[in-house]
Amino acid sequence: MATDHLSITFTALADPTRRAILARLAQGEATVNELAAPFALSLPAVSKHLKVLQRANLITQGRRAQWRPCHLEVAPLKDVADWVEHYRRFWEQSFDLLDTYLRELQDNDKDAEKKNGQ
Amino acid sequence: MASSTGHTNAAPRELVFSRIFDAPRALMWTAWTDPAHVARWWGPNGVTNPVCALDLRPGGAIRVDMRGTDGSVSSMTGVFHDIVEPERLVFTTNAFADSEGHPQLAVLNTVTFAEHDGKTTVTLHAVIVTSSPVVAASVAGMEEGWTQSLDRLADYLGYVQGEER
Repeated sequence: MATDHLSITFTALADPTRRAILARLAQGEATVNELAAPFALSLPAVSKHLKVLQRANLITQGRRAQWRPCHLEVAPLKDVADWVEHYRRFWEQSFDLLDTYLRELQDNDKDAEKKNGQ
Repeated sequence: MASSTGHTNAAPRELVFSRIFDAPRALMWTAWTDPAHVARWWGPNGVTNPVCALDLRPGGAIRVDMRGTDGSVSSMTGVFHDIVEPERLVFTTNAFADSEGHPQLAVLNTVTFAEHDGKTTVTLHAVIVTSSPVVAASVAGMEEGWTQSLDRLADYLGYVQGEER
């Protein structure tokens, strides 16, 4: 997985308007006009957001001249999900080791107490 | 047995999970803040940590060199932001270095420790942040949460991944 790619994805996802656009596209394809409707934004402003999303390969735009509907592309989001899964595993396994280590520490303490008691 | 819950939160860049450990909070705090202890458990299975340096103060550096089973060493670096003994640690870890080794992103980790009946619940909340100003804003409590709209996106992502399986 290309890390530069991921950072472009995360940067694109960092903006609430762009996330809302993606959420809208998760319901199905939409035209730029349709995407602009829920926001108090000019069409050029929406187009700017769409360009960022396109650069991150999060959306593609159809070629039909009049409609040019936008589609959500899932692959980069899957990269994000994969990274999150990797990070989750890192901590899950660390927590397992921490659990074992804390037991060792406390068992050693108990042994030491027993010895001192004798 | 330690019990654990884990789930990816609404947003794909956010992660929350917690676990109950059979250990008092004071010991837990030591295990998280004393490098000699941290080196014993930090990292995934099979990893050893020949270098573990923690400068435990706001702005203090974190560096853990992790040696994998194949002998390769990778460094995890970061910075402490907030230290409230014995309840909370806030630190960032760097991620996604570019070709010159400069991290593009960081993960803001908030770890809380809650004690009850001699056991400690550790909760890790991790969120990916894009730049240091964002980190600063997040630490100041201004982190803008992911909107409900993203729940739907995450649902959709889960749906699509389910389809692929």
